[in-house]
Amino acid sequence: MAGRIATRLNELGITLPKLGAPIANYVPYRVTGHLAHISGHGPVGADGRYVTGMVGAGVSPEQATATARIVGLQLLSALSDACSGDLDRVRRCVRLFGLIYCRPDFTAVPAVMNGASNLMVAVFGEAGRHARTTIGARALPMGISVEIDAIFEIA
Amino acid sequence: MVGAVDARLKELKIELPRPPAPVANYVPFVQSGNLIYLSGQIPLQDGKVKVVGTLGKDLSIEQGREAARLCALNLLGHLRNACGGDLDRVVRCIKIGGYVASTPDFGDHPKVINGASDLIVEVLGDKGRHARFAVGAGTLPLGAAVEVDAVFEVA
Repeated sequence: MAGRIATRLNELGITLPKLGAPIANYVPYRVTGHLAHISGHGPVGADGRYVTGMVGAGVSPEQATATARIVGLQLLSALSDACSGDLDRVRRCVRLFGLIYCRPDFTAVPAVMNGASNLMVAVFGEAGRHARTTIGARALPMGISVEIDAIFEIA
Repeated sequence: MVGAVDARLKELKIELPRPPAPVANYVPFVQSGNLIYLSGQIPLQDGKVKVVGTLGKDLSIEQGREAARLCALNLLGHLRNACGGDLDRVVRCIKIGGYVASTPDFGDHPKVINGASDLIVEVLGDKGRHARFAVGAGTLPLGAAVEVDAVFEVA
């Protein structure tokens, strides 16, 4: 039987991406007690390549918001793995930390980050509402537009 | 009866701000177990960002410190709400993250973030001593000079 969150993902037309391998000597997530710490993830596009580029210089804020949502999906994929495939074990999204690769004069980073925040609330409802920090970064790995890490509480 | 921390705030002539509402789709804090995760705060005062700009370009370290102090006041305002109004429930400040909007050659991030660390220790004493990082950011939300987030343990 499909779980509550799996059903919700289906309703939203979301298929979680395959969990990518970390690009260096670290793991996608670690669980301690009831907390799952998810590593910083980047946006993997439909073509399997990273979505790159600087917001305000070739990448529009709207594109970046969509990119933040893609990163959110990567996080959910790692989280699902941390929960042995059962997202119903998620009690809440505790915290997201977003880094937005942007021009030095671009300060609307909270709106970009909403791409990920709105996804968490769409999927988990009230339990998806989280604490959050967003900053503009001068550079990110491989030139990706958005990187996000996360902490979830799981049963 | 006035709590010990409230008495200390009074001694220091500090009135905690009515904490600002988040600027996007997230919440000011999430509690998981005994840990309170606070969202990144910027130097908002009376609905306005008091310190806008970039360290190393158009702001002095002293102005940066003042910005960090305001961020910490906003953190304590939210923390008080997280404790149901009773700051005596705070067991300790675990960690703060400090982000400084700064030029690529700026190196005094720790001095800037001391504005937040010093305030927290002033108010909470030994319980306020914390782990910390301080980094440079390309930009911060709404053009703020400094952003600070935190994790506290509560009883």
